[in-house]
Amino acid sequence: MTDLIELRGVSKIYGAGDAAVHAFGPVDLAIGEGRFISFLGPSGCGKSTLMLMIAGLLEPSAGSIRVNGTDVKGPRTDIGIMFQDSTLVPWRTVRGNVELQLEMRGIPVADLRERVTALLKSVHLEDFADRLPFELSGGMQQRAAFCQAMIHEPKIVLLDEPLGKLDAMTREHIRADLQRLWMRSRPTVVFVTHSIEEAVQLSTEVAVITPRPGKIETIIPVELPFPRDLTVKNSPEFIRHVQDIQEIFHGYGVL
Amino acid sequence: MAMASYKRDAALDRLWRWFGQSWMFIAFFIGFFLFWEYSIVLFKIPLYILTPPSLIVTKGWADIARLVQYTYVTGLETLLGYVVAVIVALPIGLAIAFSSILRRTIYPFLVCIEMVPKIAFAPLFISWLGFGLLPKVIIVFMVCFFPIVLNAILAFNSLSEELTRFSLSTGAGVWRTFLKIRLPAAMPQCFVGFKYAGLNATVGAAIAEFIGSDQGLGFYIQITTGNMRPELAFAGIFFLTAIGLVLFGTITLAERLIIPWHISVRRTRA
Repeated sequence: MTDLIELRGVSKIYGAGDAAVHAFGPVDLAIGEGRFISFLGPSGCGKSTLMLMIAGLLEPSAGSIRVNGTDVKGPRTDIGIMFQDSTLVPWRTVRGNVELQLEMRGIPVADLRERVTALLKSVHLEDFADRLPFELSGGMQQRAAFCQAMIHEPKIVLLDEPLGKLDAMTREHIRADLQRLWMRSRPTVVFVTHSIEEAVQLSTEVAVITPRPGKIETIIPVELPFPRDLTVKNSPEFIRHVQDIQEIFHGYGVL
Repeated sequence: MAMASYKRDAALDRLWRWFGQSWMFIAFFIGFFLFWEYSIVLFKIPLYILTPPSLIVTKGWADIARLVQYTYVTGLETLLGYVVAVIVALPIGLAIAFSSILRRTIYPFLVCIEMVPKIAFAPLFISWLGFGLLPKVIIVFMVCFFPIVLNAILAFNSLSEELTRFSLSTGAGVWRTFLKIRLPAAMPQCFVGFKYAGLNATVGAAIAEFIGSDQGLGFYIQITTGNMRPELAFAGIFFLTAIGLVLFGTITLAERLIIPWHISVRRTRA
């Protein structure tokens, strides 16, 4: 197995001198191709910072990051990225927003109409393709944003709390779709979340991140069969994983 | 046949619904003018101070040729000043938003100038450039320029962090990012400036004409007031208001066409 993402001694410090905030690190981490790794931690632990550094959207204060064999020097374009607040633009329809990703990359949209349609269908948005974002519910907006992040079929997908603002039922539903889509094409996914259950359900590995300065406390491999439906979620192994992680956070006083 | 009657019914239906929403406003409007008309009799206000609306209409109608001609003159000044302000202010706002050097030089200078009451320059422009069209256009331009430029700077500087990051991750160049994301995202805030400038425009034109001119509605209002003909002054004010309404209406229409997706427009549509 080759490592697609490699971090060596990566840390991030905001500001300088006495006012400097040590946000993250140092962290060493290797993420294999086709894995689904969650950065799990309380808010403010720097997990989003770490994801942005992998995307090349934020420069580490120290250390080096290699993605797909090359050093990360600036914004990487070989990734798909999605945030808690969606990057849907209000003046384009759902289809137009998905096509925006292609247009921005200079990929001719006309050749890929079918692909857009199929992707929207896979997240149950085929009937809403011609709607504007404000006409959709929060869950539907995030489904559309997911299509926007995936339409160019990136090998690496970075998801920064994409379900963070949704209600529990919608989260559950979208999680299942997310897992199904991941199983289909097996991209490498970095998934930032503060939900223990979400991390255990989706991931092949859960990186447990402790509060400031953020550090990877441990990486827990989750060797449960996919798809992880209700049966798996009610199994003793699943529940033990969740309890183990709860104990770690309890020890740090965040739970 | 059935189709036509259906269409007519739908139109009637719309009219009826509009009336259902607006009748209070219409009633208030009519009440206001009735009160104006009869309070003059009731409170024995002399005619050279305030004239009833009925007299404004009849006397104004008698002088309609001059009013229409002056409306054209003032309307042209307003429109030219406004359009030139939009054409000049937008690129300057854009340049300031994207250049840190301009933001440290021209921007503070513009903010200082904004503090100066632009109307105070009007007599100077008249003395420099005479009684013609040009000084009026410049004064309208000045009162319209600043709201457009300041709102444009704000508009082009406030793209969300997420959209900035998204743009970077696609590898799109500056130009493509501008056309597909920054420009449309900036339009709502730009329209705030366009509308505010639209409200200023007729004020600028009228005051410029007060100070020095031999035609236009501002000139007309001043002369008729001096000649103790307030009913004609009111007629002039009415036509001046009409210019402002047409300009503002056109801007609002453009806003609805250009940013139909924006929340401010959506609300008025609902």
